[in-house]
Amino acid sequence: MMRVHVNHNPVEILPGMTVRHALIAAGLIKEVEDSKKVYDEWGNEVGLDGALSEGMKIYVR
Amino acid sequence: MLKGIVMKKRMIAISYIFLFILSVAFGYGEAFQIRILHVNDFQGFAEPYKPVGSNEMVGGIANLAAEVEELRKERPSLLLSAGDMIQGNNWANLFQGESVIELMNEMRFDAMVVGNHEFDFGPEVLKKRISEANFPVLGANVEGLKVVKPYIIKELKGVQIAVIGVVTEDTPLSTHPKNIAGLKFASPMDTVQRYIAEVEDRADIIIVLSHLGHAVDRVLAERVKGIDLIVGGHSHTKIESPVEIGRTIIVQAWEYGKALGVVDLTIKDKRLIGLRGYLKEVKPEKGKEDQKVLKIVENYNQKMEAVLNEQVGEVDVDLDGERGSVRRRETNLGNLIADILRHTAKADVAIINGGGIRASIRKGKIKVKEIYTALPFDNYIVAIKLTGNQIREALEHGVSAVEEGEGRFPQVSGLSFKYSLPDKKGSRVKEVLVAGQAIDLDKEYIVATNDFLAVGGDGYKVFGEAIKTSRDFLVVGGMMKGEKIVYSDSGRWLRDVVVEYMRGMKRITLMVEGRILEIR
Repeated sequence: MMRVHVNHNPVEILPGMTVRHALIAAGLIKEVEDSKKVYDEWGNEVGLDGALSEGMKIYVR
Repeated sequence: MLKGIVMKKRMIAISYIFLFILSVAFGYGEAFQIRILHVNDFQGFAEPYKPVGSNEMVGGIANLAAEVEELRKERPSLLLSAGDMIQGNNWANLFQGESVIELMNEMRFDAMVVGNHEFDFGPEVLKKRISEANFPVLGANVEGLKVVKPYIIKELKGVQIAVIGVVTEDTPLSTHPKNIAGLKFASPMDTVQRYIAEVEDRADIIIVLSHLGHAVDRVLAERVKGIDLIVGGHSHTKIESPVEIGRTIIVQAWEYGKALGVVDLTIKDKRLIGLRGYLKEVKPEKGKEDQKVLKIVENYNQKMEAVLNEQVGEVDVDLDGERGSVRRRETNLGNLIADILRHTAKADVAIINGGGIRASIRKGKIKVKEIYTALPFDNYIVAIKLTGNQIREALEHGVSAVEEGEGRFPQVSGLSFKYSLPDKKGSRVKEVLVAGQAIDLDKEYIVATNDFLAVGGDGYKVFGEAIKTSRDFLVVGGMMKGEKIVYSDSGRWLRDVVVEYMRGMKRITLMVEGRILEIR
């Protein structure tokens, strides 16, 4: 199990899963499909198929 | 006396000329620039496409290649790839990455590092792809694969540049165990440290070509001294301005050929004294494509059409994948796909969402493209241990929005159940049988599903709950060992698994069997 944070909320996904999976788990995938973007904790845009690692924080805005 | 002075002046003049020639020849004295061009996570996106949430076409490898050529003309350059090139999009997958290697050869890449997805077609295919490449493929922390090199040293204008390649240690968790059987993925930190010690006396500049992800690249820069530049991949990060950590610069060029990374290194006396990096976003521009690369793209498009039209089997009946069916009742296509998941993952049962099936397959000869149309999503198979009670909960959720025709309606294999639509949501499931026996609510069963449901897609929280209670899993002896997770193969899309399965079956007769019965 890997824990990451989406908009400050923790979600659990499998190791090897991606930004897309974290957003599905957080119930936010629709917002990105509708035009919002995903950023890492340093403000860089990341792709939906981007790899995640334990403890990473991503933000949808 | 006068003759002596003249001689001395001549000697000084000759010395200056000699020094000037040396400085021109070997780069001493004057500052000059060399250029690193980089891409990562291309994954076979050869043609321009519209990203999720956007109406704008972006990318296109023929336009990216043209940019590379223009930028190469300005100063001596290296073209590097930070991995995940040969698997992902149909343009790559249908040829097991051969198409990508052909265009990388045409673009004259100088090196790439293996990404985790380079292993997705298995070790033999990977070795074949590497043998076709006209450039070195790196993987310093991959033990057991002789065809990858730990590093290379390239010379640009008298400057010796070491490029060390490392891939994520998590590779065994993101591909099928058989793809990495016999391989070990050592710690990237320790590996880079070791190879820096080996090359530092021979190299003026040290680059790490990393398929570790941006977060790990930052840790690498903090912990391991001596790296001038990390060219990253894996996290699909759009780093618009290079990140500086200590004396190390980190870059990454997003994904899918949507951007070309450019780093200009200013060198003086063989030392790095300045750096400027940026991303050049790639958009499709007709007439500006690299014509040789465009031709490769078009050739494989034609071949792709032939592969998609290939016959993989034959069915005696229509396979029902209509929206109004798969979201409301058991269908023969739903049964077939659920059966394939269950058999592939060696699971007790399979549960998939009807909404994942998008078209029917008409009776007669089945073509690859019909399966691709029926299963358009990039989903892969995951198998999780659930208790009988959790399976029942999942089924309750699956039939909780039948009236609305939502995609959560389950298609199942290895089990059958009855439900009563007039009953309130959450209390509709009346009888569940697994392999013909009443389900044991306390017993754990292996449940195959897709990655979308596994993380709670379509509201299937029960899978997410199971993941939450599972500690880390490991790959031991080629098998996945974990508390709850028994199968996860992100390197093979479900549609490709179905194609392979149908190839083996040849002729199929499928019926609705009463796996899901509505009680009235």
